[in-house]
Amino acid sequence: MNDLTQAPVRDAAYNFAYLDEQTKRMIRRALLKAVAVPGYQVPFGGREMPLPYGWGTGGMQLTAAILGDDDVLKVIDQGADDTTNAVSIRRFFARTAGVETTESTPDATVIQTRHRIPETPLHADQIMVYQVPIPEPLRFIEPSETETRTMHALNDYGVMHVKLYEDIATFGHIATAYAYPVMVDERYVMDPSPIPKFDNPKLDMSPALMLFGAGREKRLYAVPPFTRVTSLDFEDHPFEAQKWEECCAICGSRESFLDELILDDAGTQSFVCSDTYYCAQRVSQQEQGQ
Amino acid sequence: MSAQLLQPAFADPVLDAQRGFRAALKALAGPGLIQTLQPTPSLEGLEPATYALCLALLDVDTPLWLAPSFDTPLIRANLAFHCGCPLTAKREDAGFALLAADDLLDLSGFDHGNDRYPDQSCTLLVQLPSLDGGAGLKWRGPGIESEHGVALPVADGFWRERERRIEFPRGLDLFFAAGHDLIGLPRSTRIAEERA
Repeated sequence: MNDLTQAPVRDAAYNFAYLDEQTKRMIRRALLKAVAVPGYQVPFGGREMPLPYGWGTGGMQLTAAILGDDDVLKVIDQGADDTTNAVSIRRFFARTAGVETTESTPDATVIQTRHRIPETPLHADQIMVYQVPIPEPLRFIEPSETETRTMHALNDYGVMHVKLYEDIATFGHIATAYAYPVMVDERYVMDPSPIPKFDNPKLDMSPALMLFGAGREKRLYAVPPFTRVTSLDFEDHPFEAQKWEECCAICGSRESFLDELILDDAGTQSFVCSDTYYCAQRVSQQEQGQ
Repeated sequence: MSAQLLQPAFADPVLDAQRGFRAALKALAGPGLIQTLQPTPSLEGLEPATYALCLALLDVDTPLWLAPSFDTPLIRANLAFHCGCPLTAKREDAGFALLAADDLLDLSGFDHGNDRYPDQSCTLLVQLPSLDGGAGLKWRGPGIESEHGVALPVADGFWRERERRIEFPRGLDLFFAAGHDLIGLPRSTRIAEERA
């Protein structure tokens, strides 16, 4: 946690937030178009970042393009502030941009996330930046980019419903548990990045601006605040988020997304909150209450 | 190009450009809400917000179309020097365009993008004397919780022209600038018929 307690000092050997200005302008222009056409994937000239694809290069390029010196950055990986990916990216921007970093969800102005939306409600003036591996929701059904682009252009999403229906035919329910496809403002089908479907309802009419960046695929897209985002479903098989019978072993929450831990060879299970800030907040509130 | 033509641009090119962009992003993500830019330089003919948008967004990759009222040696020289953007006389080639209120009645020629690549459309930067005082209209759509009442001082004909030019996802995105203030109007915003 040392990187949080020390005041960040910007390494002047790098341009502010690492990327050069022309790259930032290119990404910024693409972001404006992404906001103007919610859910549409804008191609951009993705740059190589000093870490491998799959580690959040798309999200980092977006964060680098939007970040200012008065921003407060939070980075989470599967809900946790203290995992390798989150710590590395936070330190990267503390060093290259000298921005303040935080683990607190309400205090952050920019939240870069890998695969979760924080449990604490977001507010206006916050920007969520999602790391996206495969931005095209139709890719596993139709491998050709030319074809999927035409399908988006023609608003032709029948195959997506066929895929969900095949789930119902095989398993009796829609088996997709993460990266659950959504319809944005009744026009574009969008991959919400591999967040659990538990988080999908948080996208709908959120007061925060949501930006999505895929570095390998060089695509970015956006959901503006207060935009209708509906998870695809059927009248007789409505969308349903995960639920647990257990509660968090640390804070006792029954509302949050739980990670399953296997404790021994006998398969003893325990469940804990995936959102570490939310869990720690609840624990400290409970301690104060005693 | 004489030296007197050149005027100062952003004092801090990196962070001022970032602030200009964030104001534009917020304006487009919350259509109809006024965003105020920090003090930035202006140019004769270009007010601070308009100039800041140009400095923040234009570069060698963005051909710019200038409406006749902005086509002055001073503006040409400074945008060429600070942004390096090519100027084009053909609306079809423009990635960005600078317009005044009078130019809003004819938006023909500007690229609307296509169904596969709606992002290839032109972005219009419109400089107005103020962002208030016109007929009040109700704006709805993405970025707007219920509705925003906006009274841009533009002719009625503009709204009909905009309607004609939008076949979502194709369309034109606009920024209205006056003084230090900015309002965004993305193609996704639906303008209600009834008056606010």
